[in-house]
Amino acid sequence: MTETPAKTATDFTLPPNVVSKVDLARMVNDFERVDGELTDASIRAGGATVPLPPLSEQLEQFLTLNKLEVTDERTRTELIKQLRSLKDVVPIIHMTFAVPADRESLQELAQWLRSSVHPHAVIGVGLQPALVAGVYVRTPNHVHDLSIRGKLESSRSVLVQELEALRGTK
Amino acid sequence: MALFQHKQSKPQTPAEMALDEVHGLFDDTFREELRNHGREYFDRVIAENATLFKQDLDATIEHVNTELKQHMARQLDQQLIEINQATADLRQHVTQQLDDQLAEYSKSLKEAQDLALQALDRSAKALEEQHKQLAASLQQSVASQDAMLVKAFDDNKTQMAEIEKSQAQALEWLERSEKALREQYEKLGDELQQSVTEQKNMLVGSFESNMAAVVEHYLLQALGDQFDMKAQLPSIIKELEANKQAIVDDMTV
Repeated sequence: MTETPAKTATDFTLPPNVVSKVDLARMVNDFERVDGELTDASIRAGGATVPLPPLSEQLEQFLTLNKLEVTDERTRTELIKQLRSLKDVVPIIHMTFAVPADRESLQELAQWLRSSVHPHAVIGVGLQPALVAGVYVRTPNHVHDLSIRGKLESSRSVLVQELEALRGTK
Repeated sequence: MALFQHKQSKPQTPAEMALDEVHGLFDDTFREELRNHGREYFDRVIAENATLFKQDLDATIEHVNTELKQHMARQLDQQLIEINQATADLRQHVTQQLDDQLAEYSKSLKEAQDLALQALDRSAKALEEQHKQLAASLQQSVASQDAMLVKAFDDNKTQMAEIEKSQAQALEWLERSEKALREQYEKLGDELQQSVTEQKNMLVGSFESNMAAVVEHYLLQALGDQFDMKAQLPSIIKELEANKQAIVDDMTV
């Protein structure tokens, strides 16, 4: 049994396929299920090493990315505790799009956020077709309208000036 | 008997011999002649008696007819006399009854006429009294109406004078009002002209603003659903990069 070095919640790296807080919660639930199944199997096997049950893709990537070994029960318990803490503290950046966002695009955006803004940032996804294109970003204290609609609204004065100029020439 | 026809019989007595002779005399032929003679006699007697009986019967029938006619005539005369007597009695009785009834009706009619005449007299007297009272009240009413009309005429006369005075004042006020209205009209015309100019400028400004909104709406409608997420992703990341510092600053606060 390999001893896994103790890690805190902030030491973990989230895999790209964990995009939202729901994904993270689902991964924690899956890990709790795996822990229960491994504990039951270990008791039935009389303490012998038991094979891992099937894991979800997100959990498997998470374990691989963070080089975690989960055969030890105490390690799993500690890991679950840390994951629960992580789930409670991850910063959420709400992003509203004009069209439904596909999984790959969301993963790419999550990667950019974790590399540029915060290593544990997750996305809260919204949909508003009136945005036309672009994204409407809401951070804890600010909003950033990066949509076409926002740009048109901010450029309205330019259009009015153009019309006034056109009237002046007539 | 023929066998013993020539038998010797004992000697007959004279009586017996007479009897035998009688028997020989009155044989069948004689008897038949007698019988025929009797029959003719009987027929003759019967025919004579029948003739006589017929004559008697005819006489009797004629007599009976005569008697019956006379009897019927007497009976009819008697009945006619009785009927005439009864008719006379009945006529007398009916006449008597009619006379009595007529007398009674005449009496009642006279009484009714008397009563009606008395009632008419009373009504005529009452009407005459009412007529007198109405005439008196009408005369009184006419007098009061006359007084009221005179008074009303005097009042109206005063009111007419006041109305004429008010009309003169109203005409004067109308002239003043017309003058003031004319001045207000000229002033309002100037203000309206000025307001129209301002409204025109305001509408043009509003049109320009609304035109910008229209153009913007048109662009939104035209560009909607033109880009899918993958097509937008590079520009989104580019925008995020441009605003990266602001986002990071907000996350680290």
